[in-house]
Amino acid sequence: MSFLSITDATKSFGTNTVVKGFDLEVQKGEFVSFLGPSGCGKTTVLRMIAGFETPSTGKVMIDGRDVTQLAPNRRRIGMVFQAYALFPNMNVFGNIAFGLKIAGLSKTEIADRVQEMLKLIGLEHLATRYPYEMSGGQQQRVALARALAPRPQVLLLDEPLSALDAKIRVSLREEIRDIQRKLGITTVFVTHDQEEAMSISDRMVVMNSGRADQIGTPAEIYNRPRTSFVAGFVGTLNILKAKVTDAGQRKVSIGGRPLQLNEQIKSSDTNLLLALRPEALSLTPNDRQDVAIEGTVTHVNFMGSVIRIRMDVGGESIVFDMFNMPHLTPPAVGQKALAHFSSADVFEIAA
Amino acid sequence: MKKFPLLPAITAVVAAAYFLVPLFATFYFSLKMTRGTLSFAAYESVFSSREFLDSLAFSTLASLAAIVMGALIIVPTVYWVRLKIPRLRPVVEFVSLLPLIVPGVVLVFGYIRLFGSNSYLPMTNSDHGTNLLLVFAYVIMSMPYMYRAVDNGMAAIDISTLTEAASSLGASRLRTIALVIFPNVRASIIAGSFLTFSISLGEFVIPSLLNRPAFGPYLVQLGQDRAYEPAALAIMAFGFTWACMALMQAFANKKPGQAILPFLSRKEIRP
Repeated sequence: MSFLSITDATKSFGTNTVVKGFDLEVQKGEFVSFLGPSGCGKTTVLRMIAGFETPSTGKVMIDGRDVTQLAPNRRRIGMVFQAYALFPNMNVFGNIAFGLKIAGLSKTEIADRVQEMLKLIGLEHLATRYPYEMSGGQQQRVALARALAPRPQVLLLDEPLSALDAKIRVSLREEIRDIQRKLGITTVFVTHDQEEAMSISDRMVVMNSGRADQIGTPAEIYNRPRTSFVAGFVGTLNILKAKVTDAGQRKVSIGGRPLQLNEQIKSSDTNLLLALRPEALSLTPNDRQDVAIEGTVTHVNFMGSVIRIRMDVGGESIVFDMFNMPHLTPPAVGQKALAHFSSADVFEIAA
Repeated sequence: MKKFPLLPAITAVVAAAYFLVPLFATFYFSLKMTRGTLSFAAYESVFSSREFLDSLAFSTLASLAAIVMGALIIVPTVYWVRLKIPRLRPVVEFVSLLPLIVPGVVLVFGYIRLFGSNSYLPMTNSDHGTNLLLVFAYVIMSMPYMYRAVDNGMAAIDISTLTEAASSLGASRLRTIALVIFPNVRASIIAGSFLTFSISLGEFVIPSLLNRPAFGPYLVQLGQDRAYEPAALAIMAFGFTWACMALMQAFANKKPGQAILPFLSRKEIRP
């Protein structure tokens, strides 16, 4: 049985329904991210787990217990906020000790646990600092320690990295993941940054206007997006217009070129949309690639380790990436080129 | 070289003279109690008066009671309004300003009707009851200042996120107010307290009509009976007010973990 479960949760504010029939099962120790554009309801779902919002319908269970109507302060959750939300009147020690004090631990127990937490976040030397004396990254680490100190059942992270600058964001997300693994704590992470969500999670939930469009591992979501929203939101995608020539044999044609798909065709229409990730195409063929399409190079974007090439294929624009190598000369703009790919990498997306 | 700012300088001197000349004149006058010499005789006379000390003690105690009561009523109110019913903020703000519009006399006559000797709750029949009414009146009189100070203090912190953080850590509403909200608006409460204190110390109408031995009526009585002592008192009141303002500044600018006077503490603060 799953450790945290949300069943058919709906939340309306007046006439505005922001979460619609949301279902999710999270295993113990799992790290799950909610990814979606702003206003998709990801934070509202997180707040329902925390207890700051009560679902209009549906229920929330933690460790087999129905907590739907339970007040937030009795749920044993730890939460980290985008704005850090450290108590300005307390120093680092006081902040981390807060939850322990509320729980009624003795002075020595509190001191031991705070020391342990400070060690975990590597800030033992800052115990007497006040929030206004620390950087954003340090404050957020303290906020994490504060949330973890009372040994919560679930850790909730509400865009904890959004207020930080790029470098700290990457190092802190790795640190959060390490700490989460070490403690084995069930974690829900909300973000609008797809790279963040993919790099940190065991599983992701891609949300779109109040619904979970797709739930799966980062690789599943990226390689096999189930809806056109997920396909468009996560990563870059080439959309190819194709015609079904033989639905039973999974045969289609792209601009007159025949192609056999790996999966059953779902569309009942003869016209369908196929998608291909930029990294699935290349200029030099490898053994797997069985299809080649010709086009005219329109843009060459040198980005360091990767060169992104845009090509015009019969009026459609296709983007693909190639790794930069010192001996390689990228094609020139206006040049004709062949792009190779494998039919196995092509997938159908719902129109 | 920059040109000497003549006009602003003259303006400053004239404005300063406007305040300082009467102050100096009063001070000079207060020193002339003993004929022919300058002395602090008027000050001695004030301090040796039993009535002065008694009325000052009475008013101080009543003011402190009003401060505690006012803070206990206003802080949770402002917190609740900001957190739960922000729509009603203008209404509550208006209510808090009413004591500036309705004069104290009206309040006292209301008291006498409601709590007079032939009412259901005859609080004016006993000294303790009347003292309590006086404290209530002080709370009401200082409400506009206390409310504003606390409201400003709460605007400076993100109370809703701090409340959520506290409650995710297991704190009940009451503990959140006591451990998180109160300490973070302490500077505002103190600023409001100094205002409350100075208002209730000087208040004349209410204690006089309630017939309480407070400092305000004493001041007025002294002004009628004596010549030099009121001037001495005015100078002392002036010094006291300045001290209050300096303390307000010190508290308002104090950061957590700092001493009230930062230059006296040895704690090192690095960026």
